[in-house]
Amino acid sequence: MKSTYRAAAFGLAGAMALSLTACSSGGNASTGASSDGKVTLSVVSLLPGSEQAAIDAFNAQVKQFEAANPNITIKPVEYEWQAPTFAAQLAGGTLPDVFEIPFTDAKTLIANGQLANMDKQFHTLPYAGKFNPAILDSGKGSDGKVYAIPAKNVYGVGLHYNRKLFESAGLDPDKPPTTWDQVAQDAKKIADANPGVAGYMQMSQNGTGGWQLTVQTYARGGRIQEVSKDGKATSTLDDPATVEALQWLQKMRWNDNSLGSNYLLDWGTMNQAFASGKVAMYTSGSDVYTSMIQSNGLDPAIYGLAALPLEGSDAGVLTGGTLAAVPAGVSTAVKNAAIKWIDFFYTGKLVDKDRAVADAQTLVKDKQPVGTPVLPMFDKAQYEQNQEWIKQYINVPLDHMKSYTDTMFELPLVGEPSRHTQEIYALMDPVVQAVLTNKNADIEKLLKDANTQAQNLLDQD
Amino acid sequence: MTRNDVLAAPVTAPPGTRTDRPRRTPATALVTWVRRGGPHHLVFLLPTLVIFGVFSWYPIVRSVVMSFQKTNLAAPPRWVGWHNFVFVLHDPLLGTAVRNTLWFALLALIIGYPVPLVAAVVMSEVRRAKGLYSALAYLPVVVPPVVSVLLWRVFYDASPTGVFNTILGWVGLGPFPWLQDQTWAMPSLVLAATWSGAGGTVIIYLAALLSVPPELYDAAEVDGAGIWRKVWHVTMPQLRGVLFITLILQIIATAQVFLEPYLFTGGGPANATVTVLLLIYRYAFQNSLGGNYGAATALSLMLAVVLALFSLLYFRLTKSWSQ
Amino acid sequence: MAAIAQTADRTAVSASDWRRPGVRWGLGSAHVVLLVLLVVVGLGPLLLLAKFAVTPTQDILRTPMAVFPHGIAWSNLDQAWNDVQISHYFLNTVWVAAGSWASQLLVATTGGYVLSVLRPAYGKVVEALVLATMFIPTVVLLVPLYLTVLHPPLLRTSLINSFWAVWLPAGASAFNVLLVRRFFDSLPREVFEAARVDGAGPYRLFWSVVLPMSRPILGVVSVFAVIASWKDFLWPLLVLRDPSIQPLSVRLPSIAGTTDQGVFLAALAIATLIPIVMFLLFQRLFLSGVGLGGAVKG
Repeated sequence: MKSTYRAAAFGLAGAMALSLTACSSGGNASTGASSDGKVTLSVVSLLPGSEQAAIDAFNAQVKQFEAANPNITIKPVEYEWQAPTFAAQLAGGTLPDVFEIPFTDAKTLIANGQLANMDKQFHTLPYAGKFNPAILDSGKGSDGKVYAIPAKNVYGVGLHYNRKLFESAGLDPDKPPTTWDQVAQDAKKIADANPGVAGYMQMSQNGTGGWQLTVQTYARGGRIQEVSKDGKATSTLDDPATVEALQWLQKMRWNDNSLGSNYLLDWGTMNQAFASGKVAMYTSGSDVYTSMIQSNGLDPAIYGLAALPLEGSDAGVLTGGTLAAVPAGVSTAVKNAAIKWIDFFYTGKLVDKDRAVADAQTLVKDKQPVGTPVLPMFDKAQYEQNQEWIKQYINVPLDHMKSYTDTMFELPLVGEPSRHTQEIYALMDPVVQAVLTNKNADIEKLLKDANTQAQNLLDQD
Repeated sequence: MTRNDVLAAPVTAPPGTRTDRPRRTPATALVTWVRRGGPHHLVFLLPTLVIFGVFSWYPIVRSVVMSFQKTNLAAPPRWVGWHNFVFVLHDPLLGTAVRNTLWFALLALIIGYPVPLVAAVVMSEVRRAKGLYSALAYLPVVVPPVVSVLLWRVFYDASPTGVFNTILGWVGLGPFPWLQDQTWAMPSLVLAATWSGAGGTVIIYLAALLSVPPELYDAAEVDGAGIWRKVWHVTMPQLRGVLFITLILQIIATAQVFLEPYLFTGGGPANATVTVLLLIYRYAFQNSLGGNYGAATALSLMLAVVLALFSLLYFRLTKSWSQ
Repeated sequence: MAAIAQTADRTAVSASDWRRPGVRWGLGSAHVVLLVLLVVVGLGPLLLLAKFAVTPTQDILRTPMAVFPHGIAWSNLDQAWNDVQISHYFLNTVWVAAGSWASQLLVATTGGYVLSVLRPAYGKVVEALVLATMFIPTVVLLVPLYLTVLHPPLLRTSLINSFWAVWLPAGASAFNVLLVRRFFDSLPREVFEAARVDGAGPYRLFWSVVLPMSRPILGVVSVFAVIASWKDFLWPLLVLRDPSIQPLSVRLPSIAGTTDQGVFLAALAIATLIPIVMFLLFQRLFLSGVGLGGAVKG
C-alpha cells in the first residue's frame, strides 16, 4: 500500500517535470526547420485587433505563398512595433522570424549582434541591385553586409485631414492649409464649429511626441541632432525651430483652444481619434491610411492627405521607413524561407508586374486599400511603373491625396536623427505634454533640460 | 494560534528511538534519517523547494547580483560596482518618481482611508439587509483592475461630452480636464484606485467592529455615555490595531503602484504620474535597443529595503494582534 | 435567546438608543443615504458599463448619458464575442487561472504538510526562508524573474510564451503556504496518530486524512488563487507576448486603440461578468474578511 502511494507521488512530480519540458520544447518547435525539410516560419501579420476583412486578405496571401512554397508553413503573428516592448521581445525570443523595425534601430541592433546576417539571401533577389543605396544602407552593418532589408516603402510625413469636418467649418476640403499659420487658423474654425472636436492635434505619448516634434522642427528648418565629421554627436533640442514649433502649439492650445481635450495620444490612439472624427488634422506617415482602414474602420470619403507645410531655409519632410529583419541565431533554412517571404510579401510586388497585379487583386477582393502613396525604395521610374501596373485596382481616394502626391517627389527629405533616436524621442515626450497641459510651461527651460539629458546620452558613446 | 506541545514531536518518529539513541556517525545518522521517513519528507517538500527555489529565492539573490552588473543579455554581464545605484540616484526622474509616489500614497490615504472607516461604522449599525450593503461596497473590488482602469479611462474623457463631465455638467460644474492636466491627473488616478480598493477595507473594518467586546459598550453605557462618546472612546480605540494594519498595508500597496499610471497616463502628462515602479519598468523594458536591467534591479532593491521595514512592522503587529 | 444573540454581537448603538426618535431618524436616514451612495458609487459605473456595451459608438462619444437616443446596438456584444474573439481570450484567462490554482494548491498543501505535520529537523530553516519572501516586495522579482523565465535553469528552452511562465511562479506564494500550515497546525493530532497506528504512511496520511479535513482552507486558497490570477496584469504582460495565449487582462489594453469603442466596452462588460458571478456565488467567503491576509500579497 505504502509503495503505491510513493509511486503515485513520484509519478505526479515526474509527470509535472515531463509535461513541463514537453510544453516548452513544443513552444520552440513551433517555428524552425524539421528533418524532412519542412520549415515553419512565423511572420508579422497585422496590428492586434484588426478588421476581419484585413485578416481575411492576409490569410489569402498566406495561402498563395504556401501553395507556391509547399515546404514552408507560415505562422502569422500579430505585431505592433512599440519602443517600450521591443527589447523585451527581442531578448525573450518572442519576435516572429520575420519582424519589422524602424530604420533608426537597425545599426545598433546589428552592432549588438541581434540580427541575422541576411547578405547571402538578400543577393539571391533578382532586383537586389536596384534598391536605392541610401535606403539599403540603413540595414547594413559596419561590415557592409545586409542584415535588414527595406520592406515597406518609405514614408514621408504628411498632413492628414478630415474633409467632412473641413466642410462643417465652411472650409474647402480641396484646399488644405499650406502654412502652419493656416493650419492654426483652420483648426480654430473647425474647433469652434464642432464643440468637442480637436481642429488639430499632435501625438505626445510613447516616444511619438518626440518623433512628431522632430517633424515640426524639420518643417521649420531646424534639426535636433548634429553629427560632426569626426563622429561626435551634439544634441540641439533647443533649436529655435523647435522653440517656434512648441510656441505655435502653445498658442493653439491656450489661446485658440483648438486642440480638443485629450492630449495623451500615441500613434494608435491618434489614428483611432482621427477615424472616429474627434481630431480634424494631424501629422503622421503618409502610409497610415492603410492602417486606419485595416484597424480603425476609417470612412475613405472623409479622408484627405496634404503635403507638410515647409517654412524657412533648409526645411524638410521627415522620412523614415520599415526594415524586415530576422533574429540572430536562426538556422539557414529559416533564413532561406525568410527571404522568400520578404520577397513575396514586401518587395517583389514592387518590381514584378504579374505579382503586383496578383497582390492588388487579392487585396481588392477583401476591400483592402491598394495604392496608398508612399515614397519609392527603388527609384522614381520603378515606382511610377508599379503604379501603372496596378492602376485599375487602386481603391484609395487618390483625388483626396492630390496635395501630397503632387509634391511628394519635390519636397526635400530628411532622415530621422541617427543616435539614441528612441531614447531622445522619449525625453521629448514630456516637453510636448507639458506645453499641452500646462498653461505656463516654460518652453526654453524644458528644452534646455531635455537637451542636457540628451547630450549625456550622446556622450556615453 | 497556540500549538499543542505534547504533539509537537514528529509523528513519524518510531517510538523508542529517543531512549536508545545510537552513537552519531554519519552512516547511522543517515540510516536513522531514512528510517524516520526522511526521503518521504523530501518528496513532499520538493514542490516547495523547486518552485520557491527557482521562482523566488534564486531571483531574489540574482537581483542583488544584477544590481552590481551591467548586462544587455547579448554580451556577458560585467561587474560595475555601485555604478547602477549612482546612475539611478543621479537620474532627474528619480526625484519626480519618488515625489509622485508619495503624493499618490498621501492622496490615497486622504481619500481612501477615512471613507471606508465612516462607511463601516455606519454599516455596522444597519439592522436589515446588512449583506446588501457589504455586497454593494465590495462589488468594485471584484471587477478586474485592468477592466476598471480601461472603463474609468472612458469616464475620464476630458471633452465636455465625456461621461463625468456630462454628469457634472448637469449641476453646472466643469468640464474638468481629469487625466489631461498635470495637477488633476494624480487625484484622478487615486479616485479610480480608491473605487477599486475601498470595498476590501470596508469589509476588514466591519469584521473588526463586530469583534469589539460588547461588555465595553455596556460598561460605557453604565457610565452614561452617549452614542458619539461610545464610538469615540470605545469603538475607535478598539479599532486602533486594525486601523494601523490597514494603514501599513495601504502604504506597501501604494508604494508599488503601477497599473493605474501605466494604463491611464503612461506616466504623463509631462511625467506628472511617473511612479517608482513605472520608472523601474521603464529602465528594464522601455528602450527598444535593450533594457538597463542593472538600474532596474538597483532601484527595485532600494525600494525593497524601505518596504521590508513596513512589512516587518506589519508582521509584528498582526502577530501580536492575532494573539 | 434573541436577547443573548443581540448582546453577543452588539455594536456602539444599543437597543435602548434605537428607541430614541433622534437616533432612529438620524441613523435611519444615514443608512438610507449610505445605501443610495453605495448604489451610485458601487453599482453605478457597472450599470453604465452594461449600458455602453449595447450603445452605438457615436452615442457613447457624443451623448454618453442619454438613454439610447439611436436605439440599442446588440451587435456590439456579438462583435466583441466573435470578431474581437473575447471568447478565445476568455478561455485563455480560464487556463491561466486553472494552472495557477493547481500550482498554488500543490505547493501550499505539500509544503504546509511538511512544515506542520512531518516536521523534519530542517523544516524550521525552510519555513524561515519561505517566510522571508513575504518581506521582499514583488517588484524586486520583476526583472530577475523575467530573466529566469527567459532562460530557466536545467531547462534548455525559454518559458516565455507558455502558460508555465505564469503557472509556476504563481506557486511561490508564501502567504498560501503559511496559511495552510497554520490550518494544519489546528487539526487534531490524535487523528494523525490513529491513522499512523492503522499503518498509514505519510502519503496516505496526506491524501486520505489531512486533505479531506482541510476543505475549508483549500476553498479559501482556491478562491483567492483564482481571483488573484484573474487580476494579474504586469507579469502576464511581460511573459505572454503571443496574442493567441494572452488572458483578457493583457489583451484588452492592447486592442483599446484599434477597436471600435462600443465593441470595446462590450468586451469589457463580458470580461467583468464572470468575476461578478463568482462573487455572487461565494459572497460569504469574500465578505468574511479572509481577504485581510490576501491583501498583503498585493
